[in-house]
Amino acid sequence: MLPIRLVVPGLLRYRAVAVRMVAEAARMVSGSRPRDEADDARSYDLRDPFDAAVVSAFGEIFNNVAVHAYDRKGGGSIEIAITPSERDIWIEVRDEGQPFALADVAPMADIDPDGLPERGMGIHIAKTMLDEMIYEPGPPNLWRLCKRIDWQRGGA
Amino acid sequence: MTTAPFEVQRTGNAVTLIVRGALDITTAPPLADEIDKIIAAKPAKVHVDLSPLELIDSSGVAALVKLYKGVRAIGGAFTLDGARDQPLAIFKLLRMDKVFKAP
Repeated sequence: MLPIRLVVPGLLRYRAVAVRMVAEAARMVSGSRPRDEADDARSYDLRDPFDAAVVSAFGEIFNNVAVHAYDRKGGGSIEIAITPSERDIWIEVRDEGQPFALADVAPMADIDPDGLPERGMGIHIAKTMLDEMIYEPGPPNLWRLCKRIDWQRGGA
Repeated sequence: MTTAPFEVQRTGNAVTLIVRGALDITTAPPLADEIDKIIAAKPAKVHVDLSPLELIDSSGVAALVKLYKGVRAIGGAFTLDGARDQPLAIFKLLRMDKVFKAP
């Protein structure tokens, strides 16, 4: 399949449209169908674990770019290229903002009810949900995300 | 335009928070403001219903953690249920399902 491309300003207000596009691309790989055939543009349907993992990871990376690379001020674009196939999905996210110090992200500690974290969970979510997460500081900065279909799950 | 995806129901000294749609970095900030109001009223019980919630990100989780910590800090009872699909997967990944007692 040809890559699906979207370029949006590096602002959080464009997050929803980017997430929507990634969700539909994930469905092309998983074979899942949305619950509501009426195509409610405000409704998400992430019952399929593959779709949920891809959307969760991508959303966190989009957040990271808008918040850290562009400091919530925009000033550049976010270029998204999605390559779905029968066995996996690759998503490339490019930005022209400040590089992110991925190596400085501390691993998540064991959950303590009295010390639950209120930040720093995004990269952990993305990394855990994906099969591969590669970051190349730029310019442009490049995130390469991959999720493979689990052939053991059946149905997709 | 993003609208706040939550509803607060107050009954006596108990609060029920219903969260629907997407709770993410664009919708969590207004919920965090509402959480400040909930905690300031010192409710005895706070229940969170996530059954209409379809999508959550780390910012949404952080808002719920803020509520959980705030309720515990004032000696209140906190319960949460209804998480399914993607939100439940996130809670399990972060091992918060055991804290929040999600199914």
